[in-house]
Amino acid sequence: MNFVNKILFLFLILFANYFAQTTLQQQFNYAVSLFEQEKYFDAITEFKRLQFFDKENQFTFESNLLIGKSYKSGAKFDDAIKYFTLAEIASKNDEDFYQANIFNARANILRKTNNQAERILTDLLNDKKFSSKKNEINYWLGWNAIFSDDWKKAAQIFSENNLDTALANLCKSVDEEFYSVDFAKYSSYLLPGLGQFYTKEYVSGVLSLGWNILGGYLTINSFVEDRVLDGIIIGNFLWMRFYSGNTQNAEKFAIQKNLEISNQTLKYLQNKFAGEKP
Amino acid sequence: MIINNKIILIFFFLITQSVLAQTDWVRWEKSSASYQIKDDYENRSYDLSIESISDILVKPVINAYWFFISDVDGANCPFHPSCSTFLVQSVKETNIFQGTLMFFDRFTRDTNVFGRLSHYPRYGKNHFYDPINLYTLSSDRIKIIPVNTFVNDEN
Amino acid sequence: MMKIKIFVLSVLLTFPIVPQEIDFNLPHNIKLFADFLFCEKDYLRAIVEYKKYLNTTENDTVQFKIALAYSKMNEFNLAFANLEKIKRASIFYQDGISEKLKLLFIQNNDSAFYQFAKNVVSSDIKYQKLYLCYGLLNKIKYGDKNKFLAAFDNEEKISVEKFYEQKLNPNYKSEVLAGILSAIIPGSGKIYTEEYGDGITSFLLTGLFSYLAYTNFDHKHYTRAWIFTALGAGFYAGNVYGSVASAQIFNAKVNFEFENGLKLYLEEKNYFIPEYEFCK
Repeated sequence: MNFVNKILFLFLILFANYFAQTTLQQQFNYAVSLFEQEKYFDAITEFKRLQFFDKENQFTFESNLLIGKSYKSGAKFDDAIKYFTLAEIASKNDEDFYQANIFNARANILRKTNNQAERILTDLLNDKKFSSKKNEINYWLGWNAIFSDDWKKAAQIFSENNLDTALANLCKSVDEEFYSVDFAKYSSYLLPGLGQFYTKEYVSGVLSLGWNILGGYLTINSFVEDRVLDGIIIGNFLWMRFYSGNTQNAEKFAIQKNLEISNQTLKYLQNKFAGEKP
Repeated sequence: MIINNKIILIFFFLITQSVLAQTDWVRWEKSSASYQIKDDYENRSYDLSIESISDILVKPVINAYWFFISDVDGANCPFHPSCSTFLVQSVKETNIFQGTLMFFDRFTRDTNVFGRLSHYPRYGKNHFYDPINLYTLSSDRIKIIPVNTFVNDEN
Repeated sequence: MMKIKIFVLSVLLTFPIVPQEIDFNLPHNIKLFADFLFCEKDYLRAIVEYKKYLNTTENDTVQFKIALAYSKMNEFNLAFANLEKIKRASIFYQDGISEKLKLLFIQNNDSAFYQFAKNVVSSDIKYQKLYLCYGLLNKIKYGDKNKFLAAFDNEEKISVEKFYEQKLNPNYKSEVLAGILSAIIPGSGKIYTEEYGDGITSFLLTGLFSYLAYTNFDHKHYTRAWIFTALGAGFYAGNVYGSVASAQIFNAKVNFEFENGLKLYLEEKNYFIPEYEFCK
C-alpha cells in the first residue's frame, strides 16, 4: 500500500511539473512560430510575456536570443545588440555563448560599428574552446573587413585555406579596381592636374593645369619685375589657392570614385549574393 | 575568464541602453539597413533654370563662376551655404541690394577665423551652419540653433 | 509506523502540487504583464495589453495608465481622448484634469488652453501654477508681482520670480543703436551686440579698403582706386546692415534661452504634477 501510495504521489508530482512546463513551453512555441512567420514585433511581445512569467529562467537564453534576432531582422541594431548581450549573460553552455556572440558580431557589422565586431570575433578566435569554429569566425571577420571598406584584408581572409573563393575573388577585383588616393594626391603636388587625369576627371585637370600655369607665370613675373607686394598678393590669391585646390580635388575624386566602386559591390552583395550575409 | 570580465562592462553598457525603449513606440516590420557607404562630400548642382528676370543675369554668371573657378580651387568656405550660394539665395529671397549687403556681411564673418566653434552650429564634418534666414531682418524668420548641435539636413 | 506514513503523506500533500497552470489569457495575468511593460517604458505594448484587459473588466487605473502611456509617447490626441473617458467619480479625475492641462500647455495653442483653463483654474489653486506659467511663456498681463507669485510654493517662488523678472525686463539690444554705432565707427555696432571678433574684422576690412583706395588715388591709379572705394563702401554698408541683423539675432537668442530655461524648469517640476506611485 505504502509502495503504491509513493508511486501515485510521484506520478502526481511529475504530472504537475509536466503541466507547468507545458504552458511555458506552449508560449515559447507560439512566440517562435510568430518569429518564423516574420511577425517580429508580436514575437517580441510574446517572448517578453514568456520571460515575465518564467520565474525559473528556463527560457531566458532562448528568448533573449530570439528577441535579439527579431530586432536584427527589423534593422534595430542597438536593441538587437542589447538582447544578444543579455543572451550571452544567460548562456548555459559554450554553444549558447558562441551563438550569442556570433549574432552580436553580425549585428555590429550591419550597424557598421566594425571595431566592436572585430573585438568580439577576435576574442572568439583566440578562445581555445571554439577552435573547431575557426572557419565560421573567419568568414564573419572577412565580412567585417568588407564593411570597413578594407577589401584587401577581406580578400586575404577569404582566400586563406580557401574559405570562400567567390568572395575572395570579388574582394580582390574591387581592391585592384581602386584608385590609389595617395598617388592621385601626390602626383597633383608634382604636376597640377595629373591626379585629376589619373582619376579620369579630364576637364577639372585641364582647368587646374591652366590656372596653375597662369598663376605661376604672373607670380614669377611680378617677382622678376621687382614688384614684390604684387607678387605676394597674386601668388596667394591666384596661384596658391588653385594649387591647394588642385590637390584637394585630386584626392576627392579618387576617394569618390573608390566609394562608387565599393557601393556598387556592396549593392550587389546585399541584393544578389547568394551566400550567407550578416 | 572571458565571461566574468565582460559582465561588468556589459552591465554598465546596459544601463545606458535603457533609453532604447523608444524603438517600440511605433509598430515596425521586417526591414534591412543598406550596406552602402554614405558619400560625405557635397556635390555641386548646376541649375540653369530661369525663374525670374534677375535669373537671366545671375544664373549664367554664378554657374560660370562655379564651373571655372570655385570647383577648381577647392572647398574654401567654412560655412555650409557656401558664400556664393549664400549670395544667390539672399538675392532670391530679398532683392539685389539687400542680398549684396548680406553677402558683404557674410564675407566679413568668413574673414574672422577666431571663435567659430563657439558661435555657429556644425554642419557635416568640417562646416559651420550659417543660413540666410538669420540675416534677412525679419525677426520671425530667425530660428536659433544652439552652438554645439550638428545640423544634418536643411528642413 | 502507519501514523508516521500518514503524517508524512499529509505533509507532502499540502505542498502546492496543484499544477502551475499559467493561463496567459487570464485578465489578471494580462494586467500584471501590462504593468511590467508600462514600467519598462514599452508603452505601445502596454497599451495593447491594457486594452485587452479593459475588454473584460472596467478599471479606471488602467484607463488612466493608457492615457499616461499615450502622453509619454507624445500622442496628444489619443492621450486626451483617453483622459476624457475617466468619470467624475473616479479617484483619477483630478489627476486627469492636471494631465489634460499639461497636454494643452505643451501643445501651446492659446485658444484651446485658455478655454479649458478658465473652467478649471477657479476650482482648485493647484491648476493656477501651470496657468500662470503659460502666461510667462506667451503673453502676460503684468500686474502685481506678489499676486502672481502667491500661487507657488516657497521654493518654487525663487525660480519663478527670476523668470518673471526676466520676462518683465529682458536684456535686449537696440537694433537702431547698433546700426548707428556701426555707421559712426565700423564694427562698433557688432561689439555692442557682443560679436567682438566680427566687430574688429569689420573695422579692419573697412579700414584696409579705405586706405588702399586713398593711396591709389594718391598715386593716381584711378581704376584700382575706384575698385577699392566700391569694395570699401560695400563693406561699410554691409557692416551697418550686419550690426542691425546681429542685434536681432542677439534678441532672438535671449528669447530662446528664456523659453528653454522655463521649459526645462517645468519638465523638472513635472508641470507641477506630483509623481505617480505606479512604478515604485
